[in-house]
Amino acid sequence: MSGSTTAEGGGMTWHVDAEDLRAYARGELAQPLLWSADTHLMACARCREVLASVGDPVALDTGWERLDAELDVPGPGLFERLLVRLGVADHTARLLTATPVLRRSWLGAVVAVLAMSVLATQAAPNAASPTLFLALAPLLPLAGVALSYGPALDPTYEMTVVAPLHGFRLLMIRTVAVLAAGLGLDGLATLALPGYGLRALAWLLPALALTSTGLALSARLGPVLAPSLVAGGWVTLLVAAHAYDAHATLAPFTAAGQGVAAAVAALAGGLLFLARDRFDRSRADRLQSDHFRGTAV
Amino acid sequence: MTPTVSASGLTLRYGGTRALDDVSLRLTEGVTGLLGPNGAGKTTLLRVLATAVPADSGAFTVLGHDPGSSSGRQEVRRGLGYLPQTPGFHPDFTPFAFVDYVAILKELTDRTARHREVRRVLEEVALSDVRGKRIKKLSGGMRQRVALAAALVGDPGFLVLDEPTVGLDPEQRMRFRELIAQAGEGRTVLLSTHQTEDVAMLCHRVLVMAGGRIQFDGTPAELTARAAGRVWSSTGRDPGAKAGWRTGTGSFRNVGSPPPGARLLEPTLEDGYLLTLDDAGASAEVAA
Repeated sequence: MSGSTTAEGGGMTWHVDAEDLRAYARGELAQPLLWSADTHLMACARCREVLASVGDPVALDTGWERLDAELDVPGPGLFERLLVRLGVADHTARLLTATPVLRRSWLGAVVAVLAMSVLATQAAPNAASPTLFLALAPLLPLAGVALSYGPALDPTYEMTVVAPLHGFRLLMIRTVAVLAAGLGLDGLATLALPGYGLRALAWLLPALALTSTGLALSARLGPVLAPSLVAGGWVTLLVAAHAYDAHATLAPFTAAGQGVAAAVAALAGGLLFLARDRFDRSRADRLQSDHFRGTAV
Repeated sequence: MTPTVSASGLTLRYGGTRALDDVSLRLTEGVTGLLGPNGAGKTTLLRVLATAVPADSGAFTVLGHDPGSSSGRQEVRRGLGYLPQTPGFHPDFTPFAFVDYVAILKELTDRTARHREVRRVLEEVALSDVRGKRIKKLSGGMRQRVALAAALVGDPGFLVLDEPTVGLDPEQRMRFRELIAQAGEGRTVLLSTHQTEDVAMLCHRVLVMAGGRIQFDGTPAELTARAAGRVWSSTGRDPGAKAGWRTGTGSFRNVGSPPPGARLLEPTLEDGYLLTLDDAGASAEVAA
């Protein structure tokens, strides 16, 4: 943030600019400067004095009330702060960071799988294409998106599903976050396979096709069965392509296969949009299992 | 009085089972208790009214809005507070962060106004002192109050509470009842419970469900009155009783059709509830 550095003021090494303090007093200082000013004002008597002299009393009372409230607020994590700095609204950043599969355990598992597939690929440098990596990479975003909503991993699912924020909107917010993380990690792993050139990027369109198909089908089949079927279909397709010609590049990673993947991604995206209202309710089969357990209904 | 909730003919099947069977009801301001044994359809009814799942047939309105359409459902949800039977939390969240998260889901996007509202509801459920602790370190009673605070955020006109006192010790239960009574001032609360004490202490009205149907709809006093002249004391278990149990004094308390000359006892809400279930063909033993 903008500020002046000085040795005065009770050990403080910097102070909030007078202009920023005036904006703060008027309630016009934007995040993340606002957060920095809040944090600094809690500890700096000199800046509080300056603030008292530049603000009108009513606005100042409002500012103190907000500052008082800020004392209760847990500091945003690194990822959340980064999103806000990138221009994401603070409430959207909070929703994104609460996405279950953005937690370290999931991301660690993705990194481990990618590292193993890259190492396995590098162990066979004479292959025409990095098949194992290309086969696995599209599955990771699919699994991440599938696990980012629904009752399986989201502990707040039942509260979330009756929230006025439309279920499809929340799904899309989380999907974008998971896709960004998943595709980003896939992309980094691709950099470890420079010998294959653009062929090493042949996972991207299948990844989008699998993810969008999994989401579109989950509107009807649920967040477990749909991605499982899509993943099963992907593996079956690769096995069949390998059986057809074990020495050639597998069909999904050829130019024609990439075209089909793009078409499937677009078609599934359209179907997903048409089915958006289905994400606005819980699935009856979850209730059914509760009923048969005889504990919840 | 204009009802907050008005439902007619709600039916929902799972396979061959009717979890809801032609349920009609009207809910007005205050706390209404929903009693029933396991499998009666209580949670299903609450989930339907909370718009979590659609009914197969029937219709209802909440706060004047029809949740049958997407826009109507959104309006209903804007006026709804829902505490599910097993509320889940992001374990690393603090109470403040969790309620803040739910407030965002309830479309409170202005940071300052949202944080003011979060502080208000945390104070209402007496959790201000632990607002910064991680939820996983709180007691069961405190977690339940966090969930109640999340349900209360945004000052909803219709509050749905699914067995909120289950698993709480007597002191926590008492404290939670105070909070529910407080929450019921000026809004409509539907409280599902196994505990007839909850209903006796909190509710101006009670619904008894069994087999997916509403078997009784009236005041707690009217439910109690159903057992008038049908509760008696005996030295041994009376074979003609619908239900009977040994009390602390050693004598048996029986409910059903008393034999001639039986020493009749003052009925309680629980007696009325058991007899209502028995009249409906549901197992009183399950509910006892």
